Amino acid sequence: MKLELGYIHIKDIQFSDVSKVENGILYVNKEEVKALILEDQNFQKADVDLAKPGESVRIMPVKDVIEPRVKVEGPGGVFPGMINKVETVGSGKTHVLKGAAVVTTGKIVGFQEGIIDMSGPGAEYTPFSKLNNLVIVCEPVEGLKQHEHEKALRFAGYKVAAYLGELARNLTPDEVEVFETPTLTEGLKMYPDLPRVAYVEMLQSQGLLHDTYVYGVDAKQILPTMIYPTEVMDGAIVSGNCVSACDKNTTYHHLNNPVIHELYKEHGKTLNFVGVIITNENVYLADKERSSNWSAKLAEFFGVDGVIVSEEGFGNPDTDLIMNCKKIEAKGIKTVLITDEYAGRDGTSQSLADADPSANAVVSGGNANEIIELPPMEKLIGHVEVADVIAGGFDGSLHEDGSITAELQVITGATNEMGFNTLSAR
Amino acid sequence: MILLTALIIIRVKKMIITNNDWVLKKYGDKFNIVYVDGTFKDVLITVRDKLHLGHELLTHPLGGSVKPSETPYKSILISDEKNNINFNSVYMIENAIITYHKFNKEKLKYLDEKRIEDLKLIDLTVLESALNK
Repeated sequence: MKLELGYIHIKDIQFSDVSKVENGILYVNKEEVKALILEDQNFQKADVDLAKPGESVRIMPVKDVIEPRVKVEGPGGVFPGMINKVETVGSGKTHVLKGAAVVTTGKIVGFQEGIIDMSGPGAEYTPFSKLNNLVIVCEPVEGLKQHEHEKALRFAGYKVAAYLGELARNLTPDEVEVFETPTLTEGLKMYPDLPRVAYVEMLQSQGLLHDTYVYGVDAKQILPTMIYPTEVMDGAIVSGNCVSACDKNTTYHHLNNPVIHELYKEHGKTLNFVGVIITNENVYLADKERSSNWSAKLAEFFGVDGVIVSEEGFGNPDTDLIMNCKKIEAKGIKTVLITDEYAGRDGTSQSLADADPSANAVVSGGNANEIIELPPMEKLIGHVEVADVIAGGFDGSLHEDGSITAELQVITGATNEMGFNTLSAR
Repeated sequence: MILLTALIIIRVKKMIITNNDWVLKKYGDKFNIVYVDGTFKDVLITVRDKLHLGHELLTHPLGGSVKPSETPYKSILISDEKNNINFNSVYMIENAIITYHKFNKEKLKYLDEKRIEDLKLIDLTVLESALNK
């Protein structure tokens, strides 16, 4: 399967009468975006704001971050099974507004997570401070249940991202990258001497605010399966996960999965990238056993020499991670794990809730318990009053001057377990 | 010839250990429930004691990514029946207790009614993702 990604570099974002992209500037008609959001009768009010790199702006609580993309050639549309038909995506051409993102915010439940600072020390901890963000703030109708609110907000994000992506349809990309994955047998013939490597991607799947969707299917209902890496670039996997801001995978992370991109870079040079195995992280222990059995079985079936496993979230997924590791290693296949740590504020506590001697190659995305200080920002987008109850915040974490003392886990994407961010440990 | 296949569904009988009254209210007449009038930690300890008696852990004690510093509510599923001690279960609950102690529970003192309701709902939905298995 072959996909061409055409990047249109976005340097700035501005409101305008007409939505368009011109000379690297993304112009957005605010009223059209608002009207699009308010098509959903679950919302009574919608607001749209801009947040650019370097500005004194704090966005909170962030739900999802989505990169605008559009399919210009090949079957299907972006986010299949969600806002487009369940067509197999991942081939043809897709245009990307690189450097822009849609950020959704909202108070779905009373405790909330996710801060993006566009400048200052907090900005260093999140990759989204480097993007030109269109932030949507939606007010639900009175009495809307949490489940419906979550779903409505999730879909508002996809719709607005697709609306912006559509502006790139007829543009000539500034840069083009091509990704191709052959069939198993073709791949084997092409690079018989290179180690065969697959990627095992774990998806959070535990209930309200903890879910991920694959072609529209709730991932807790799936058995582990294979997916072409290019399908992911067209939005086959999307996030409905709002818990654990620092180490959840937003839709933006899925679209730009760094493990997939790095494996493609090495494909044909140092290794033979076979494909992606997706698996879930359920609460029920028998599910964990079944899913890890299955991912190990698929790795064996693909005849790989090694896998990279990425985790999502905190606590019980550590058990899935270790089960995947143990069972895949037991088949004689080497594993490298990507996770993050909850090692206490001083970093001396046990990092994961589970462990095994076969987990002997582990990459850390950083310590989520580390204390950070965020200075006040001039402008706040979203709901600032939630700072005190934001995950990792504690009483008194929001000071009178608007500054925040909190654990690193409040920052969206800070310790991402795909390795999307820059923090690590040695 | 028609082949008749007998389907035997093996379903473990479940017991819920919880300090969430919403769980008690919704499932009190359907499951064997031990209601703990206490903290998240009290639930973990109650589960640990049950595991020592030979019950088996059915859901991960840290189910959901809502941390012990964010929620006082916890519901855990174990087997209703006792058997030999399951050491995997004991290992998992001990690790969960160690993890619990890593978090500062200070801010739990300041929860208002709306947040309490939301946290009970989250705990309930995470439990329900495993209840009908």
